[in-house]
Amino acid sequence: MFGKVRNWLEIRIGLDELTRTQLTEYLIPKNINIFYTLGFVALAAFISQIITGFFLLIYYVPHSDYAFRSVQDIMNKVPYGWLFRMMHAVGSNLMVAVVILHMLSVFFMGSYKKPREMTWVVGSFMLLTTLTFCLSGYLLPWSQLSYWATTIVTTIPTAFPYVGEFITRMLRGGETVSGTTLNRFFALHVTFLPLLLLSFIAIHLFLIRRIGISSPPFGESSEEKKPWTRYRHESHAGGYPFYPYFVQKEMLMVSAYFVAMFFIISFLPTLFLPEDANTPADPFKTPAHIKPEWYFLALYQMLKIVPNKLLGISMQIVLVTLFILWPFFDTEEEDNILKRPLLRSLFIISILAWITLTIWGRYS
Amino acid sequence: MRRGIPLVIIALMIFFVAPLVSGQGGGGQEESVCLGCHDSDMMKPEFRSIPSEWKKSWHYQNNVSCNDCHGGDPKDAAMAMSPERGFVGKPNYAEVPEFCGKCHIGILKNYLESGHGKALKSTQSGPNCVTCHGSHEIQKADISIINEKRCSQCHTYDRARTVKQALFVTEKEIRNVERGLKELRRSGVFTEEQERTLFSTEAEFRTLFHSVDVSLIKDRTNEFTRKLDQIDSQIRDLSHELLFRKNFAAFLMLLFLGICIVVFSLSKTS
Repeated sequence: MFGKVRNWLEIRIGLDELTRTQLTEYLIPKNINIFYTLGFVALAAFISQIITGFFLLIYYVPHSDYAFRSVQDIMNKVPYGWLFRMMHAVGSNLMVAVVILHMLSVFFMGSYKKPREMTWVVGSFMLLTTLTFCLSGYLLPWSQLSYWATTIVTTIPTAFPYVGEFITRMLRGGETVSGTTLNRFFALHVTFLPLLLLSFIAIHLFLIRRIGISSPPFGESSEEKKPWTRYRHESHAGGYPFYPYFVQKEMLMVSAYFVAMFFIISFLPTLFLPEDANTPADPFKTPAHIKPEWYFLALYQMLKIVPNKLLGISMQIVLVTLFILWPFFDTEEEDNILKRPLLRSLFIISILAWITLTIWGRYS
Repeated sequence: MRRGIPLVIIALMIFFVAPLVSGQGGGGQEESVCLGCHDSDMMKPEFRSIPSEWKKSWHYQNNVSCNDCHGGDPKDAAMAMSPERGFVGKPNYAEVPEFCGKCHIGILKNYLESGHGKALKSTQSGPNCVTCHGSHEIQKADISIINEKRCSQCHTYDRARTVKQALFVTEKEIRNVERGLKELRRSGVFTEEQERTLFSTEAEFRTLFHSVDVSLIKDRTNEFTRKLDQIDSQIRDLSHELLFRKNFAAFLMLLFLGICIVVFSLSKTS
C-alpha cells in the first residue's frame, strides 16, 4: 500500500528526487549545534498554537457579554477543552521564550551578518508579530487581568502629542476598552496576524534555503570562508546530511518543548493564569498590582524608571528600531563574538540589563 | 495619504512596544468626590477618619460607596450633599435599621421581629445595626460578632451563648466551603455557580443571627447543612477533576520525555 502511494507520488512530483535534494543530500555544516534547531522549534510551537487555537475558536464567543463565560465553558464543560486552552496559553509564553532564545543564538553565532541581513530583519518582525499575537490574545478571555492590562496598554500612546489620543481611540474603537476593542483584537488575532506571521515564515524559510544555513563561527568548519561579493548558495560540501542528522536534533528539541509545556500544565497550572485571569472583567473595579506578562516586564520597568513618559516610549522605539536594523549597524567581517570584546560586552550587558529589569519589574 | 502612512507606522510601533505598560493600575473603585473633602484638613477631625475606615471595610471591597448609603452625587462636589440628589447624611439613631435595611432587606425584617428590634422600637434606645457592626469600618459578619464583651454591654451573655452554639455547626461548614472554593479559584477553576449558591445560603443564614431565636435556628440548621453539603460535594468533584488534569498532563509529559529518549538514542546509533 505504502509502496503504491509512493510510486503514485513519484510519477507525479518526483518524490525520490525531492527527498534526495531537500533531505538526504541537503547538507548542513559539520560544526552545527543544537541551538540551530530553535527556529524549527518556534515553527512547531506556532503550528501547535494554530491547532489548539482552532479548537478554542469552535467554542469561543467573541462578544464582551459571552467571552468570559465561553472560555470558562471551554475549561470546565467541553471535553478536554482545558487541555487545549492550557496548551494555547502556556504555548504562547513558551513560543515567545523560544523565539527570543532563537534570536539570541543567531546574534551570538553572528548569523545575521552579510548576506543574511534580510533574514534577521524578517526574524525581528516575526518576534514583534509573536508579541502582538500575545497582546491581542491576552484580551480575548475578557477577564479582569486581560481587561485592565489592555486598558493600560492602550493608554500609553496618549503620551504622544497631537496623535496620541487618536491612536488610543483607533486601538480601542472608542473612548474605553469595550466590546468593540474585543472585536478588533479578536479579528487581529485570528485573521490578520496568522496571515502576517505565515507570510514572514515563508519569506524567512525562502531566505534560509536560498542562501543556505549559516556556519557557526565556532568549531571545525568543513569549508573555508569566502567574501560575499556576489550571490552564491552556501552548500556546505562535506557537511552532514539534513536527514537524518539534523532532523533528529530537531525532533529531540521539539519533544523537549512539549515536555516543558506539559510540565507547566501539570505542576504549575497557574503560572500564566493567576486568579485575576479567572475573574470576569469588571470595568468598575481595578484590580491591584496589574503586571504585564514576563516578556514585557523589562520594557515596563524601563518605562517606569524613565521620568518622562514620552521620552520613555521614544527610547523604546529607538531600541526596537536598532534591534531590527542591527545587521546594518554591525558591518564588521569577523563573526566570532568571542574575538570581538566590545560586541561580547554589549551582548552580555544587554542580557543582564534585560534580566535585571525583568526581575525589578516583577517585584517593584 | 502620505501623512497617514507615518501615522500608521507610529501606531504599529506603539502597538508593539506599548505593552510595557500595564502596571499603573491599582486601587479599588471610581473616586468619589466625598473622599476629597473628607480627607482634607478643612474637615472636622471626627469626620476625617471616615475615608480610611471605609477603605478597610467589607463595603469597600464590594464596591459599596458613600452615595450608596448616604445618597448625594459622588461626581459633583457642589451637589454631593444636596437633598435634591437624594443626600440623607447621617440617620437618627432609631432610623439606622431602615437606613441599612434599604439593601439588607431580609435582615431588616428578622431584626425588627427580634427582641433587639422590638427594644429599639419601644424605647428608641435598643441596639441598632451600628451597635454590633460599627459604621464605616464595617467588616464581613460572622459568628465571632457574638461575644461576651459585645453582648454584655446590654445584657447577660447566657442567651447569646446558646444562640452562638446553635449557629456554630453551620458557620463552621460555611468556612470550610469558602476555603474549598478559594482553593479551587486559586487553581484556576471558575466557581461562580457554587459561590452564588454559597452567597445566598450564607445571606439566608445571616438573617437568622438577627432573629435571636434559638428554636428557629435549630429548625433551619438541617436545611442549610443540606445546601452546604451539595456545594461541598461539587467542590470534591472539581478537585478530582483537577487531579485528573494534573495526572493526564504529567502522562503527556512522560510520553514526550520517552520520545526525547528514543530520538536521542537513535541519533547516537545512526
